[in-house]
Amino acid sequence: MNWNILIPELTLSLGILLVFILDLFASKKHYRTLLYMSALVPVFSLLSLFLVQHPAKGFFDLFEVSAVNLLGKAVLYVLTSLSLFAMQDYYEKKGSVYTELSYIPLVATLGLSLLMSSANLVLTLLSLELASISMYLLVSLFREEYLSKEAGFKYLLMGAVATSMFSLGSAFYYASTGSLFLKEYRDENSLFTLSLLLILSALALKASAVPFHFWTPDAYEGAPTPVTGYLSSAPKVALYFFFVQLLTYFHHLKQWLLLLAVLSLLSMFYANAVAYVQRSVKRLLAYSTIAHAGYFLLGIATVESTLQRALLFYVSLYAFASLGSFVIMSVLEKKEGFSHHLLDYKGLYKEHPVLASLFALFLFAFIGIPPMALFVGKLGLFMGLVETLLLPLAFAFVLASILSAGYYLRVIVLMFLEEGERRFPPARVSVGEALTLLLCSFLVLLLGVFPHLLYDLIRL
Amino acid sequence: MELLLNLAIFLPLVGAVAVALVRKEKFAKVVSISLSSLVFFMVLYLFLNFNWQAQGFQYITRLEWIPSLGISYHVGVDGMAISLLLMTALVFVSAFLWSWKVEDRPNLYFALFLLLETACLGVFSALDFFLFYLFWEGMLIPMYFIIGLWGHDRKVYAANKFFVYTFFGSVFLLLGLASIVVYGYMMTGKLSFDYTFHLGFSYPLMLQIAGFLLFGLGFAVKIPMWPVHTWLPDAHVEAPTAGSVILAAVLLKMGTFGFVRYSLPLFPEASKHFIPLIFFLSVVAIIYAAMMAIAQTHIKRLIAYSSISHMGVVTLGTFAMDLNALNGAIYMMVAHGLSSGALFMSAGFIYDRVHSYHMEDLGGLARYVPKLAVLFMLSGLAGIGFPGLAGFVAEFLVFLGTYKNFPLWAFVAGVGVVLSAVYFLYMYKRVMFEEETLSEYRLEKWKHLKDLETHHTLSFLLLIVLAFLMGLYPYPFVKILEQTSKYVLGG
Repeated sequence: MNWNILIPELTLSLGILLVFILDLFASKKHYRTLLYMSALVPVFSLLSLFLVQHPAKGFFDLFEVSAVNLLGKAVLYVLTSLSLFAMQDYYEKKGSVYTELSYIPLVATLGLSLLMSSANLVLTLLSLELASISMYLLVSLFREEYLSKEAGFKYLLMGAVATSMFSLGSAFYYASTGSLFLKEYRDENSLFTLSLLLILSALALKASAVPFHFWTPDAYEGAPTPVTGYLSSAPKVALYFFFVQLLTYFHHLKQWLLLLAVLSLLSMFYANAVAYVQRSVKRLLAYSTIAHAGYFLLGIATVESTLQRALLFYVSLYAFASLGSFVIMSVLEKKEGFSHHLLDYKGLYKEHPVLASLFALFLFAFIGIPPMALFVGKLGLFMGLVETLLLPLAFAFVLASILSAGYYLRVIVLMFLEEGERRFPPARVSVGEALTLLLCSFLVLLLGVFPHLLYDLIRL
Repeated sequence: MELLLNLAIFLPLVGAVAVALVRKEKFAKVVSISLSSLVFFMVLYLFLNFNWQAQGFQYITRLEWIPSLGISYHVGVDGMAISLLLMTALVFVSAFLWSWKVEDRPNLYFALFLLLETACLGVFSALDFFLFYLFWEGMLIPMYFIIGLWGHDRKVYAANKFFVYTFFGSVFLLLGLASIVVYGYMMTGKLSFDYTFHLGFSYPLMLQIAGFLLFGLGFAVKIPMWPVHTWLPDAHVEAPTAGSVILAAVLLKMGTFGFVRYSLPLFPEASKHFIPLIFFLSVVAIIYAAMMAIAQTHIKRLIAYSSISHMGVVTLGTFAMDLNALNGAIYMMVAHGLSSGALFMSAGFIYDRVHSYHMEDLGGLARYVPKLAVLFMLSGLAGIGFPGLAGFVAEFLVFLGTYKNFPLWAFVAGVGVVLSAVYFLYMYKRVMFEEETLSEYRLEKWKHLKDLETHHTLSFLLLIVLAFLMGLYPYPFVKILEQTSKYVLGG
């Protein structure tokens, strides 16, 4: 057995067990210690990535590691650690302390981490479920908050649909190929195409692409805001790293490009249009996630290393920007009576110049303004699309990103250019939140000016 | 020398950080004015040492930046760029002097303007597509906040319109950049964003046309050409005075600069192909905008339309495929920067004193603010192309060159340019003279009207002196511009 390739996941599991056992005996007042402990667990996993020899396969070829998915895991662990650091103060201020919260995000990350290395549909299903079930819990664990329960339930129902589609797809896959291993099968038949359709739908649901997006705005809005931050960052990164692998097995199907193009066009235009009528900034960013899912799916429309490298760069940085913006929102939400309604953001710059500026930085990054790193991802996708002569898609991308500028701007206008009407008590930024915000904004700026620090590591 | 260019680009950025961190009003003002003057003298030194007989770019710095994507930090200037840099640096000094009395959040104000200065200087000196785009978009956020925070009543609407329009253009520009970079990569196997690398290619016609349209859309919005000009009157009307000055003097030039620097040399055949379209749009802009200007009673809006009209002359000259016309077009960029800057200052001053931009509230001002009356007249004359001032040389060269190849177009455009005298003199008459419209109430109120203060006079003089210099002794300027025109027209 080649245990070496599993070291990061083992570290993670050990950490989870440790926190879990301590949680059994520790009382609520140790909540903070537990949370910080578990925030450090991904850091150890991150360090242990250096011990893994790659590329390698193990566990009857179920589990694969390569340079790319190790990089994905590194990004995932950093994101997890940061979002855990940002959680502590929010739950305390909201009076909703569940000590279980300290390790459930780690379980989700374990699932996502396994997903990235999975080379077999069974392992994919299991890891997806591990991650999803933990996330259902994360969404609904919020004391006396009806919206969070509703969100969790909706997420669970939709997620269950995805699970069943995925299982059915796997069954068809087995029926047509005689194996559950992900490989390139050249002999096409309708059963195989059907299985692709089902599996792709399930994954599109997880990636919140239109028309499988319905859970996203509700789950994002109802979930405790730091959890929304986690939802919008870590799973996306893992999913697209997995998608890039999946692409190598499925791209030869002639329906692939069509399916992806339809999904991505629908997501881009639908979400960017619907975002304009949102009244809640949290929902608005949920639609922004859906629109970004549309952009990202362009990156796997066809096999071309420029496209995939740009995609992985884009999605990693998007995750940091998204986590950062939700953390800002969670800081604001600690104020009494703050509801994320657009009007609550009026005149925010006067009250919190630093928070408002950081939020504006992330929003400008979403629009795709340099020198923020998301711009480089966008440029890379343009170049890839031109290179593969998918010019209509490139044009659609251009139009969608122009369309999107308006609703991000509206938030910026409210924060900077309008006077606040309601007065809220000031919110303090905790150490953990400050750390997360600092690192997210630093990365978004640094990798915008020196993108090769990450870009060169993405070798396909 | 090379270092001097880099210093000139990034000193304002350093200043912006310092001004934003040290929250002292006096500090912000002194630092901004002294830094921008320092930058001006650096650029002036470079300008005076510019070798107009040598070919190609000068003061080149090239550093590896993002090697795996073929992006380098590559800056340098040619004759057009150094002239525009000089104009930009001067206009910024002038704008900072003008803002001496700003009281509303002065630190943020000056920090944003300094940021803007780095972006503007960067656009004109970048020789790498990525770097160019970085500066090009870098000007968007500061300008957005300048309009949005210090503007007049409908500032939010104007700022958003400005942002969305400009962003609309620049995303297409980005797609265009990506296309030609990818083409270069597929042809040579070398990924490079370097401008000089791409200069050597001759692209297939289809790509040239696509590239021309994509780049052109980005530039056309910025210039702005008819029919994507509608953001400009709003942005100008709502922007604070110094914002309008920079917008008119520098930002509009980025578009025309882009046509000369990128569209013409990279897509020569497509450019020839699109001459009728560009001419049509230019002539429409010249005449339509001039007529719109005549119809205005809001003086700032009038000046804004006059800018659109003058930029039509620039695009006309740019695509006339003639050395004189191109010289004239570039000359016009600089000349218009000086005159429109001064005109917007006049309008801004009137607003500061009388609190209105509307002609019906203004008649008879000349007696109360005589200094302004003189300088306003001079700025206007520079704008409408009065002999002895910079605008005349520019218009003369443009029409001389255009007439040679396209006499009919030159004639129609020339008729349009006559209208500029109509709207300016009409405005001047209604604002400065027409004493009979003065009411008792206004007489009482204007008795103590204060004329130009020292910092106002200084910022006017900076621009007008250069306008005179360029009008009376154009030879050295034309020679320097010609260095660019020659290589752009291929020989």
